[in-house]
Amino acid sequence: MRVVVRTFSELCITVGTVIVLFVVYVLFWTGVKADSAMDDQIAQLQEQWAKGSVTAGPEAPTSTATGSPGASPEEPAPYKDGKPFAVMYIPRLGFTWNKPVLEGTKTGTLKKGLGHYASTAQLGQEGNFAVAGHRRTYGDPFKDFPRLRPGDAVVLTDGATWFTYRIDTKPYKTLPSDIAVIDPVPRKSGYTREGRYLTLTTCEPEWGHSHRLIVWAHLDATQPVEAGKPEALRR
Amino acid sequence: MYGWIWRHLPGNTWARALISLVLVLAVVYVLFQYVFPWAEPLLPFNDVTVDNQ
Repeated sequence: MRVVVRTFSELCITVGTVIVLFVVYVLFWTGVKADSAMDDQIAQLQEQWAKGSVTAGPEAPTSTATGSPGASPEEPAPYKDGKPFAVMYIPRLGFTWNKPVLEGTKTGTLKKGLGHYASTAQLGQEGNFAVAGHRRTYGDPFKDFPRLRPGDAVVLTDGATWFTYRIDTKPYKTLPSDIAVIDPVPRKSGYTREGRYLTLTTCEPEWGHSHRLIVWAHLDATQPVEAGKPEALRR
Repeated sequence: MYGWIWRHLPGNTWARALISLVLVLAVVYVLFQYVFPWAEPLLPFNDVTVDNQ
């Protein structure tokens, strides 16, 4: 009898310890891992850009002979799934806030940065460039998402061009099934005409998954990287 | 349970303590490297998209 009680209490203590360790893992260790993974991705991008092999750059030479009839000539090459192609800066979330944007929104991809919805437009193109990111865990990239306000800048670079988007809406709360928010012309944003839009999505509430938070932005300005950082990032 | 393990470790008290420490670290390593990464996606923090991909 004593052995049974002792073994049972030892098991309870063990389970408790494992749970505490798991909380440490989720709250702390995923952040450590994500920070190094994101630094890796950005370093990878910068190395790529330094070599001048901008795979998805808008300045890709006009396709020789193999021009497919459907694609417009300035259409950039498709992004590679799970690979970084841009860096995002949002001054409102912190002057040093910058995260890599990877292609796809798979769980594994979102551990290494923000994820671009593969079905949506490409950076700076006509349509809706939609990006998802973690609110909590894995570096908490969108922790301060509710602080975004109309007029805030969202700046992205693909190594060749700076794209400055301006947020037009306060964070909008919706249901996870509301896929119309990443439509080319997201109606609920108040946009009525086709344009070059950006959508950011994350989870709501902070630690839950019952809803999503959305903000919309429009492309305000572009400039080549040679012209220096856009005004929104200068201080 | 732990008493049983302790009795079955070789050596004197110091050697047993050292082996216990190594065992604990090994368990923590396995948890962080394999078990928690598997369990973490079962929590809701990964659902950040609107199309559930």
